[in-house]
Amino acid sequence: MPYLNITEVESGVTSLAAAFPATDLIELPEPTFEGRTCHALRIGTHRLEPKPAVVLIGGAHAREWGSCEILVNLAADLLHAHAGGTGLAYGGTSFTSAQVRAIMEKLDVVVFPLVNPDGRHYSQTVDPMWRRNRNPAQSGGNPAAVGVDLNRNYDHLFDYRTAFHPSAPVQVSDNPANPDQVYQGPEPFSEPEPRNVRWLLDHFVRTRWFVDVHSYTQKMLYVWGDDHNQSVDPAKNFRNPLFDGKRGLKDGLLYAEFIEKGDADDSAVLAERFCEALKGVRGKKYSPEPGFDLYPTCGTSDDYTYARHIVSGQEEEKILAFTVEWGMDFHPPWAEMEKIVLDVDAGLVQFCLTALA
Amino acid sequence: MSSEYTILRVRVTAKDADTLRALLRDSRPDVGGQIRQNEDGSFTFDAYVSPEQGEALTREGVSAEVIEDATATGRARQAEVGEGDRFAPEDAVPQGLALKVQGS
Repeated sequence: MPYLNITEVESGVTSLAAAFPATDLIELPEPTFEGRTCHALRIGTHRLEPKPAVVLIGGAHAREWGSCEILVNLAADLLHAHAGGTGLAYGGTSFTSAQVRAIMEKLDVVVFPLVNPDGRHYSQTVDPMWRRNRNPAQSGGNPAAVGVDLNRNYDHLFDYRTAFHPSAPVQVSDNPANPDQVYQGPEPFSEPEPRNVRWLLDHFVRTRWFVDVHSYTQKMLYVWGDDHNQSVDPAKNFRNPLFDGKRGLKDGLLYAEFIEKGDADDSAVLAERFCEALKGVRGKKYSPEPGFDLYPTCGTSDDYTYARHIVSGQEEEKILAFTVEWGMDFHPPWAEMEKIVLDVDAGLVQFCLTALA
Repeated sequence: MSSEYTILRVRVTAKDADTLRALLRDSRPDVGGQIRQNEDGSFTFDAYVSPEQGEALTREGVSAEVIEDATATGRARQAEVGEGDRFAPEDAVPQGLALKVQGS
């Protein structure tokens, strides 16, 4: 079974919805620039009222092909195992039928495997290293300036020139023709794809956990991405202008982003359990760590998602947010990608179980 | 980046932290993985760059070695993308890759 093309990601989701009537097929409200409509799938047993939800998204960065396969296969594993009353075995990591049943009965698992179909199609048929969407609005007719990096387009520290230290190597650009493809877009949520993700979070009001699947570096990242974490000084936070121009230095003492200790601990535990289950499959070692340890970022889905409850002031809306960086290559041969799917899906099943605990 | 653009995967080594910081600040390369510190105190990372960017990375205290033509690798991998729609038949559904284990 080779990589899924964009038609197959969609038909995979819709066929699962048809085969398992207890699921909900969710049409995202905004079509892409090229007119494609996206779908997500809520899996779990029927419900009288919303259950705590885990929202899993993938395929935002076009060239990271395997993310969609990870999520489509995860949904299929859970649905088939639940229907058949079986457990799941991913290499050396297994889960009992009772564990599968617990996930399906106690959680809404919301899978949105292909956030950026336009970009994936372009990457799979034209330029394999394409990362962004295909919106030409800011390009001025320059093909090199087409598209926005969707994981820089969320509303979190978007004004990076103000927020970060001038020497911080933050991976973002306000230049549409930026050759590293990290153009953030003209304004937060300028792009339909992140707006669809935001809609999904708004729609599932009991979302408590969020995972964005990317590649690569074999890591399970948790907030924050703009600076080191600290749980001592609440005044050092992303909304405080006193610290503008001081964020993002790797070895600087000027700033570190505040996170409540309980959230930092819970995030670390979820990430560690993910990595342990993944390692049990065939021994691959992924590292659980804050996003900033990779490189400083802004406008990312995970920081935005966790920050929502801080911005709204509604503690009950808190969502612990993560980014998986699978593998060590954007386009591994499919034979290797199949193994990575098993690795990551074992981690995600364990993630759901840990969330329930 | 146009479709004609070639992206190289380049392994970059900076002799020390100051050199690394200056490189990242000046060049802001597309870092493809984590920056690792070596036993001798130098730092290594992979970057995805055009041939011109790759040449510009090299400076005093910095070496850049081409690992692969990432665009060529990706183009070869496009042959491993499905054609048509494998789930078009009415009874075709993704099965998942895990083993479904009875009696557990």
